[in-house]
Amino acid sequence: MKIKYLAVGCALVAATMSSANADRLVIKGSDTLGAKLVPQLAEQFKAQHSGTTFDIAAEGSTTGIAAIIDGTAEIGMSSRRAKTSEVGAAAAKGKHMKPTIVAYDGIAVIVNSANPIKGLTKKQVEQIFTGDVTDWSAVGGSGGKISIYTRNTSSGTYSDFKELAMKERDYAGGSQKMAGNEQIAAEVGKNPNGVGYVGMAYTKAGGVKVMPIDGVTPSIKTVQGHTYSYWRPTFYYTNGEPSGLAKEFLDFTIGPGGQKIVAQVGFVPIK
Amino acid sequence: MFRKKLTFAAIAFCFAFTGIAARAQDAGALLDLLVRKKVISDQEAEEVRAELTKEAASTAAGKWKLSTPINEIELYGDARMRYEYRGGRTASNDLTNPNDWLERHRQRYRLRIGLRGTLADDWFFGIRLETSQSNRSTNVTFGGDSSNGPFSKQDDGINVGQAYLGYKGFPDFTLTAGRMPNPLVTTPLLWDDDINPEGLAQQWKHTFTFNIGGGAAAAPSYSKEGYSKDGKGVVAPPAAEPFKLKLDVFANFAQFVYDDTNPENPIGPTPTNPDHDLFMLAWQVGARLTFPNNVYIQLAPTLYNYSGSGDSFNVPFQGDFTDTNQTGINNLLVFDMPVEIGWKLWELPMRIFGDFAVNFDADDRAARAGHPGSGGQRYAYEAGLGIGQLKAKRDWEIRAWWQHTEQFALDPNLVDSDIFDSRVNMQGVAVKAGYALADAIIFNLTWAYGWRSNGNFGTGGVGDIGINPLDQYQIFQADLNVKF
Repeated sequence: MKIKYLAVGCALVAATMSSANADRLVIKGSDTLGAKLVPQLAEQFKAQHSGTTFDIAAEGSTTGIAAIIDGTAEIGMSSRRAKTSEVGAAAAKGKHMKPTIVAYDGIAVIVNSANPIKGLTKKQVEQIFTGDVTDWSAVGGSGGKISIYTRNTSSGTYSDFKELAMKERDYAGGSQKMAGNEQIAAEVGKNPNGVGYVGMAYTKAGGVKVMPIDGVTPSIKTVQGHTYSYWRPTFYYTNGEPSGLAKEFLDFTIGPGGQKIVAQVGFVPIK
Repeated sequence: MFRKKLTFAAIAFCFAFTGIAARAQDAGALLDLLVRKKVISDQEAEEVRAELTKEAASTAAGKWKLSTPINEIELYGDARMRYEYRGGRTASNDLTNPNDWLERHRQRYRLRIGLRGTLADDWFFGIRLETSQSNRSTNVTFGGDSSNGPFSKQDDGINVGQAYLGYKGFPDFTLTAGRMPNPLVTTPLLWDDDINPEGLAQQWKHTFTFNIGGGAAAAPSYSKEGYSKDGKGVVAPPAAEPFKLKLDVFANFAQFVYDDTNPENPIGPTPTNPDHDLFMLAWQVGARLTFPNNVYIQLAPTLYNYSGSGDSFNVPFQGDFTDTNQTGINNLLVFDMPVEIGWKLWELPMRIFGDFAVNFDADDRAARAGHPGSGGQRYAYEAGLGIGQLKAKRDWEIRAWWQHTEQFALDPNLVDSDIFDSRVNMQGVAVKAGYALADAIIFNLTWAYGWRSNGNFGTGGVGDIGINPLDQYQIFQADLNVKF
């Protein structure tokens, strides 16, 4: 009899635990996605799926990809593509990095609102962020030593901007590394000589303005049409085809309800 | 859905005929084009990219990871097998063994493996590992080990032949520091090809192009030659290209650390004449003028001087007999003028090459060597003819030259170690012929015969033949070189 009760008790505990795991979704990765968009998506999803909990950590795209590789997250948010070395590391552990585009983004170059500059060319952007040019007067500004704010090396935005805007050249030695988009926007907003880059969703911060690049400003139209130079897809990475709660949340994100939130937050919907 | 499957199949088929690593690298532009043409969606393109990346990651090439600062890196090197005969004859007035030959037959190999590349922001680097510890040789003799049994590895060590860092960020300038390939335009008359000097080098080069006049005018369209059979006008032939001259002007400066003094300030009383590091300084300016049809002329006048004393080469050079100083670099202020003229004869490259050197300080060098009044022994020169080139399979080349060096003309520590056995006060003829068995495999034969230039002096320098004076000398080498 005691053994029977023990068996039932164990089964109940197991059921409770698996139920808790089934209702909890761990998402790690990109600060670009994880600071605002994914939490809002999660809130809306929770409202429609009671009992669901989310564990969201936004410390950079590299951490999201690593989490899929080591199995500590069901979804890895990333604002960049996985590198060959990461895909190889995943394959070595029997994992398959499957990307799903969940939103588009335009990396906006921002300067302080008081900066008289009206726009920049792609060449000027490269020159500024690589340190070839160190004074605003060289790019049509009123003079002043340029202060560069960038993301840190675990950021997908850091890698994307280096590829899209800097021809893979190194950032200037004096550039200041910030943990997230909001921090960059805050610093540029305080520094009249500041320049940085943020995802489109973070361009509404006070004290900053967005630079047209070769005359094109990042918008839904220019990013969806791929006419803005620094457009990029953002991803959920999963281990192979998603299943269970991860699949439901991914389907929600790319469905009409999720894409409405994407547009509201300031990203560009995929359709 | 069927259309999408067909599209994916077509994309996979297109990539099937290229290497996996190439597919992953080249896929981006093609996929972007297909998305722009709305053949596939962004999501479909990402799925194809992910598959290709996964395939690339599974290949050996895909597992290589280079650190981020490296923009480009090249693995290169060469291996060589050599048979060599080298012999020298004593003087006729040698007290012990007059007119006697000392001969060596050797089978040798060499290996050189290097990495060179570019880093971010116009920096470049290079390292090369080489066999042999000699400054003028990378050869190792089979069976040359003297301990640890046959086939031991005593003399088969690997050494750092080159290790340098440089910067090319200033237009037309190259700055290099470290143990580097010789940055100067020179010939083996002064510098053995295997020497990698250590120190600093600054190189400047600028190209000027001159268009002189024009070619023949185009044929007018109404001329008889300009009409086709049906009477319609044909396109007139284009006007000939203008006559172009290309002038490359260059300047190379070097500050080589020839000998480090250790210590400059020893324990105890400060020396009255303290030793300082010995520097070899080189000052070279030159030009290469290229005419149409591959005709060129190049001159590179150079001045070498030495500063400081060091502690290994600061005994005055004497150069006579084996047991007197053969390596002193005192009183050397050498002017050198390498010259080359090249042209093509029915597509066959030809060139006349030469080098002339004079030591302006030879009077003092001779006096300190115990030969006052013999400062006239200050000249060295070579002149030769080369036909052909070794660039591709079945190419051939032959070079022959005359070489003459006098006792007080040159630094004996740097002259070529094969032709005339690293010695000065020698003259003679050398011939080298090569044939490319394949693009990277060259077979070479070298022969040289020389004799003492002036019988009143020894043949200064330290070579493989332990005779001084080296009254006659002969060398023969057969090489098989593989470059990679």
